[in-house]
Amino acid sequence: MSNSHSDTIPLHPSNSQSDIDEIRSLIDDSVHSGPAVVLPARHPASTPPPSSSPFISSNIPPPPPVSSSSSLQKLQSVPAAPPPPPPVGNSSSIVANGFGPPPNTLTEPVLDTVKRDLWRIVSNLKLVVFPNPFREDPGKALRDWDLWGPFFFIVFLGVALSWSASVKKSQVFAVAFALLAAGAVILTLNVLLLGGHIIFFQSLSLLGYCLFPLDVGALICMLKDNVVAKVIIVCLALAWSSWAAYPFMSSAVNMNRKALALYPVLLMYLSVGFLIISID
Amino acid sequence: MDLSQPEEENYANPKTCFFHVLFKASALAFYMLSTLFADSFVIIFVITVVLAALDFWVVKNVSGRILVGLRWWNEINEQGESIWRFECLDHESLARINQKDSWLFWWTLYLNAIAWTIFGIFSLVRLEVDYLLVVGVCLSLAIANIIGFTKCRKDAKNKIQAFASRTIASRFSSTLQSAFSLV
Repeated sequence: MSNSHSDTIPLHPSNSQSDIDEIRSLIDDSVHSGPAVVLPARHPASTPPPSSSPFISSNIPPPPPVSSSSSLQKLQSVPAAPPPPPPVGNSSSIVANGFGPPPNTLTEPVLDTVKRDLWRIVSNLKLVVFPNPFREDPGKALRDWDLWGPFFFIVFLGVALSWSASVKKSQVFAVAFALLAAGAVILTLNVLLLGGHIIFFQSLSLLGYCLFPLDVGALICMLKDNVVAKVIIVCLALAWSSWAAYPFMSSAVNMNRKALALYPVLLMYLSVGFLIISID
Repeated sequence: MDLSQPEEENYANPKTCFFHVLFKASALAFYMLSTLFADSFVIIFVITVVLAALDFWVVKNVSGRILVGLRWWNEINEQGESIWRFECLDHESLARINQKDSWLFWWTLYLNAIAWTIFGIFSLVRLEVDYLLVVGVCLSLAIANIIGFTKCRKDAKNKIQAFASRTIASRFSSTLQSAFSLV
């Protein structure tokens, strides 16, 4: 009978078997697609910190390893981690047997973490500064933000400016650093106050990464001393920075406030450009 | 039964503990002794902040995992909202965490923040704004780690309680079911 046939098809969406299948397919996706892809959270949150514990329930496997952390890192030659204590190994092997490599980040070796973070910096840089298919959608492009890249770029810019200065080196550095850091924070607040939808750290990260062209410009200006050449190089770098920052900032606010959001960003980069040109 | 009791409990991960303390201590020491090492403020700033950033990373990614079995990070989901994620080991592993390790972990975190606060007060009193900047950056890194791990630990406790009550409830109901099926 057709009725009994349809009865055997599980239609209820919250069947535990279908949950496990869904989790398994998510894990397979994550294993195949590499570390830079972020998978949707299992419980999309409307409130701030909901948490997920992958390890508490031993029969339901943890959610797949999405982008890890806002961690800062720099270690180029990090020592190999001491082997994790045995109980930790046991908890991961429960998962490993059923679903391939352990999809958790608590027991991975330190070198994996370092590599993952390094890779994330490079991919963020490529996404922000160079043309890429995600440009019009800011949420996707800088989904796994990190602050290491911006940190490097701001410090590098400060050091380059301070190097080129012949007097008051430390003041130049401090001013450059404070200007860029405070500027990024204030610009983000500006967008938020204009009613825009942007996440604080994501925007900080973005504004920091967009400093990369200005870093390149400052480096070249450090080496060449001709004023006209400096002006040209800085203008190019400025245009590149603005081109990089524009889509993210403008799509965060609605149409009639775009200029209000964009203008301070351009102003900040312009003032950095002036600093680069006028330092002697 | 109690194999750990007869011998005195030692650090289970001495190398991790060492690195956990190393960067904090060197950032603080370098800041204090900076006038002996370098004249230039730029160098002091860069080295101190780099050491503090390295310490932040080590605590967040390495020693947090290994010494206390906790980890926290931030994600942005499909809808573009930011979620804080907390991860912890399961109940038996957490119970087996070395007490000395976790004592060292938490106490050095707190002492580090207190030390930077004291340095901040000194430079505020002396009106050295440059050094206040350094202290501000290092202090914010230290506080970020403290807040993250404290939230993570609370979360872990809640989850353990929830898991325990769920396990009890499920065992209870399965016992009932088997009892009724026999009848």
